[in-house]
Amino acid sequence: MKFLIVEDEESLRKSIDQYLTAEGNICDHAATYEQGYQKLSIYDYDCILLDLTLPDGEGLQLLKYLKKINKTDGVLIISARNSLDQKIEGLSLGADDYLIKPFHLSELYARIQSIVRRRHFNGNTIIHFNEIEIDTAAKETKVNGKTVYLTRKEFDLLLYFIANKNKVISKAAAVEHIWGDDADMADSFDFIYTHIKNVRKKLTDSGCKDYFQSVYGVGYKFADV
Amino acid sequence: MKLFSSYNRILSIITLTGLLVIGFLFYQTLGQYLNKQIDDHLFEELLEVEDFTHVKNILPSPDGFDDVIVEYKKIHQVTNKRRLFADTNFYNPKKKHTESARYLKTELNLNGQPYQVMIIASKFERQEQIKSIILIILLPVIILLLILWLVNRILIKRMWLPFRELLSNIKAFNINQEKVFEPIQTNIEEFKELNKAVLDVSLKVKSDYREIKLFTENASHEMMTPLAVINSKLDTMLQSNTLGKEESEILADLYKATSKLTKLNQSLLLLVKIDNNQLQDKEKIDLKALIEEKLNYFQEFIQKRSLQVQTNMSPFSISANRSLMEILINNLLSNAIRHNYDGGSIQITLTKDNLIFSNTSAQSALHPGKIFERFYKDNTSEGTGLGLAILKQVCLRQNYKLSYGYEQGYHQFKINFDGPENEIR
Repeated sequence: MKFLIVEDEESLRKSIDQYLTAEGNICDHAATYEQGYQKLSIYDYDCILLDLTLPDGEGLQLLKYLKKINKTDGVLIISARNSLDQKIEGLSLGADDYLIKPFHLSELYARIQSIVRRRHFNGNTIIHFNEIEIDTAAKETKVNGKTVYLTRKEFDLLLYFIANKNKVISKAAAVEHIWGDDADMADSFDFIYTHIKNVRKKLTDSGCKDYFQSVYGVGYKFADV
Repeated sequence: MKLFSSYNRILSIITLTGLLVIGFLFYQTLGQYLNKQIDDHLFEELLEVEDFTHVKNILPSPDGFDDVIVEYKKIHQVTNKRRLFADTNFYNPKKKHTESARYLKTELNLNGQPYQVMIIASKFERQEQIKSIILIILLPVIILLLILWLVNRILIKRMWLPFRELLSNIKAFNINQEKVFEPIQTNIEEFKELNKAVLDVSLKVKSDYREIKLFTENASHEMMTPLAVINSKLDTMLQSNTLGKEESEILADLYKATSKLTKLNQSLLLLVKIDNNQLQDKEKIDLKALIEEKLNYFQEFIQKRSLQVQTNMSPFSISANRSLMEILINNLLSNAIRHNYDGGSIQITLTKDNLIFSNTSAQSALHPGKIFERFYKDNTSEGTGLGLAILKQVCLRQNYKLSYGYEQGYHQFKINFDGPENEIR
């Protein structure tokens, strides 16, 4: 997939780039409004990561311009401002999602994939990972064609790990993905362990291989080794 | 003591003693003056007695005078010619009772015979006169004083009216509200000055407060991007294949610290947002449903700590901002879970107007005045120390009454929604 990262903070841009290209994606960069303007006029992207505060302009103006020239690229807004008004404005202008800084790269990637899925594979929302088959629209999980019943949170967790397959996901990222950031349960990081154990058990009970790997107490990885 | 009563007390003490002293002196002077008059009269009577005996060669009869009584007493010899005036009591045969009187006693020769003559005059009428005079003079003075006191009272009350208004306006002034201090209308220079001083102070306080809020907001926002960088770098490091046990542990700690810092920042921003009244859109919210939704949301946390949750909720809806109500329930619930011990219990009671969250805890009663302060927390808590402060701020903004109590091992947080603005329209 091909992405455009419009972000003025260089180190953040680099990290995002690194994370995405490691998965075989291609990333273009724009540090300013002007650069972003030029790039999205010429090229087509699967998804544009758009920071709203750029040194020479407003990210929302780029979004307006994109819609004006009738481009259908997916847009994920990345903003430091957690304001409902701005979120609503961004989404009503045609952005697909809104992510608030700071975020975890795994979260970012999961969201990007969700956007691309919605935009490109119209109707076809099935994800395959070896013997696992996930229907994101119907929220159904099948192992070797047999349905596995997962709770909503377990389903979200599995989808999150599969979206970031072969990547290590920190416990912090997993907790935030499931409970959001308003839970204020900072002392409950270890708690994600129980949750993953449940998903693991349900999957292996249905004859699935155990793809979850623990990484020394810092996180987990979903990979076929 | 009020200024007015203090002023009044001094004034009445001075007036009363002044009145007493003046009254006493007045009475004395008047009495002496009257005595002198009576004495003159007695002397005249004596001369008359002398004339009478001289002309008629007989003593006048003791009852021969209109208003005096004359007594004669034969003596051997005139030894003392001095005239003596003094007070006495005598029996008035006409009125048939004893009266105070004044007499003149002297010795003199009448028709060649030595006599002691005593002339007595009643003071009764004169005294009555004195009484009348004093009454006539003192009564108007007292009435005048009373009127003065009354006028004074009304005048002072009226003069202090702007001050009272000013005071109530100062009391009504709230730094958190948009309403600025209301200056009062007055023509009195002192109050005008006070008015202006208070107005200046209030404006300064307001603008300072606004600046602090703005600073907090900007600082917190500016921190978000570096935090995003740290987070992304941690995520990148985590992907390294050469990660050993030690490095992983360091990473885990870094994640925790970063996440805590992020939460802290978000909480501060949230506080500013609530302070600024940025969350105002109201809608009808079914509290019971919201609590049940949140219980479901936190169910894994509850199960993990094997907490017993008892709910006693009757349907209750409220008109409020959804985000704020979610924050409220979130904070109450996560607080009850976090500060509980494994196997403890949580009781949630929702009645009309009242929401009560009670939970067991390893801690004993907390300081009810301090727990809602920002960054107040015990050392074992890993929270931000802002959860209850946010709770308090939300309640303050929505005019809910938030209280804390400790009863039979249960920490109890009670919110009373009973306020005129919270009714569902």
